Amino acid sequence: MNITNKNIFRAALGMLFFAAFSSFPVMGQNIEGSWMLELNGSKQEIDNSITIGAPSDNEAAIIGELILRKEEKGWQAHVEGGPVEIDINGGKIEILIDSRDLAGFVFFRRLNGEISGNIMSGTFTIEGATENPEHGGYWVATRKKEENKKLPPNPQNLTGIWTPAPGVDFRKYSMDLTEKAQNWHNDYIDHYDQPNVRCVSPGIVAIVAWGAYPFEILNSEERLTFLYEVDSEVRRIFMNDKQPPDYYPPSAMGFSNGYWEGDELVIETQLLEGNVRDFRGEPISEGARMHERYSISQDGNTLDAVITLMDPDNYNQPPIRRRKWVKNSNTEIYPYECDPDSFYRQMYNEDKLDMYFERSHRRQID
Amino acid sequence: MPFNQKQLSVLLIFLYFSSISQAHHSFAVEFTAEKKVAIKGTVTEIWFRNPHVRYYVEFVNQQGKKESWDVRTSSPSLLVRKGWTKETIKVGDEISIFGHPGRDGRKLLSVISIKLPNGSSLGKKYPD
Repeated sequence: MNITNKNIFRAALGMLFFAAFSSFPVMGQNIEGSWMLELNGSKQEIDNSITIGAPSDNEAAIIGELILRKEEKGWQAHVEGGPVEIDINGGKIEILIDSRDLAGFVFFRRLNGEISGNIMSGTFTIEGATENPEHGGYWVATRKKEENKKLPPNPQNLTGIWTPAPGVDFRKYSMDLTEKAQNWHNDYIDHYDQPNVRCVSPGIVAIVAWGAYPFEILNSEERLTFLYEVDSEVRRIFMNDKQPPDYYPPSAMGFSNGYWEGDELVIETQLLEGNVRDFRGEPISEGARMHERYSISQDGNTLDAVITLMDPDNYNQPPIRRRKWVKNSNTEIYPYECDPDSFYRQMYNEDKLDMYFERSHRRQID
Repeated sequence: MPFNQKQLSVLLIFLYFSSISQAHHSFAVEFTAEKKVAIKGTVTEIWFRNPHVRYYVEFVNQQGKKESWDVRTSSPSLLVRKGWTKETIKVGDEISIFGHPGRDGRKLLSVISIKLPNGSSLGKKYPD
C-alpha cells in the first residue's frame, strides 16, 4: 500500500469531521439493513463532498456487503454472508471479520469507527499471521442502494482472455452454516477430502472465484462459452430460455442460462451436484443455485463479478464472492493436465491409504 | 543455471505476485501458517505436473538418518508463464528451500523461496 502524506492528511480531515459531528449516540437511528463496506479503497466522495478513506494507487479496494440486525440477544452482523463479531456502543462500532489471504491462511480485519446517519467510517487493523500481510487502513460503509433493475438488454462484448486482478473480494472465511451443514463440515479433513487434491475439478462454484488462473470468453449465437484454465473446464451459458434436456444430470459445472440486464450479464446456474463450496470444504447441496452478475468497464479492459450461492439447506445467509479480471491479450489459456499419482503416493508412504478409503463416504455429498 | 539477468528480473517480479500463484488450493489445507523451516538437499525427482509442481529432496539429518521431503510450488502453467520451467531445477541439483512445513509433522514443504546452486533465488529472496 502506498499512502502519500497528502492522502493521509485528506483522510485524517475526513475522520476529524466525523469525530466532530458524529459523537452523538446511535440511539434513534435505524442502522439495521444492508450496507456496502469498502476498505482501503479509492477515495470516497460522499454526498457532502468530504473525502473518507485513504486513497490508494497501488492497492485495490476490498468491497463487501454488511448486514446488520438487532435481535433479542443483541446486534448480529454478516459480511458477504458470513457471521462477524460486532459491538455497537452509542455512535461507535467495532467489527471483527475473519478472512483468508491469497495463500489460504486465516487472518482478521478489525474495524473501528463511528456511525453518522447513513455513513459509517473509521480505520482497520490486521490480526493474525499471513504470508503477505496487509497493512490496515481506512474503511467506509454506506447504505446499500436498492437495485430495481429491469433495464432493456444492452449486450456487451466480453470476448477475450481475462486474468485475475488483485483486491475486491473479502475472502470471508466462515459462513453461516445450517446445523446440517455444520455437522457435515465438522468431520471434513480438507487435505484429504478436497476434490482438487486428487485432480478432481472442484466445480463451477469454486472455479468461478478462483484467484489464480485466467479464463477465456467466446461469444456465439445465443451462447457464451467460458474456457477456464484451471482444470481445463468448459462452461456453456445459454443466452436464451433453453432448458436442460431430459435426464440432464446434476454436475459440478451445472447448467447455466444467461441474460443481459442493461449492460450487465446475469447468469443463473442450476443442476449443481453435491459438492464443496470452497477450500474450507463447506457443502453445496444438489438443489443449490448460483447467481452471477458481470459488468465490464467502459474501456472494456476490466470485468467485475458478484457471485452469490443460494443454498438454504446449508447456509442461513447466501455466501457472496467478488472477482475482478483484466483483459490480457498477451497470454493464452495454457494446458492443465493433472495427475493424482503424487497424492496417493504420499498417503502410501505415510501409511494412510486405508484411512483415506475408509473416508470415501466423505467425498459423496447429497 | 539457465537464468540470465532478464529472466531473473522476471522471476523477482514473480515473487511479488507469488501468493497469487500459490493459491491453487489453500496452503492452509496442508501446511502450517505459523512455522517456516529451511532445508538443504539434493533433488532426486521432479514432478512438473498438476496439481502442484513437486521436487523430491533428500538430505542426511543431524542424527545421520536420510530424510526425503516433498517440496511443492505452484502449478506448471503459472510457473512457466514466468520462465520457471521443468529445466530450471534438475535432478542432482543441490538446493536450499525455505517454506511452510506440512501439518502433523509431514515432510512436506510449501516453497517461499528456493536458493539455486549459483546463489540466486526463485520465489521470494532467500533469507540470509
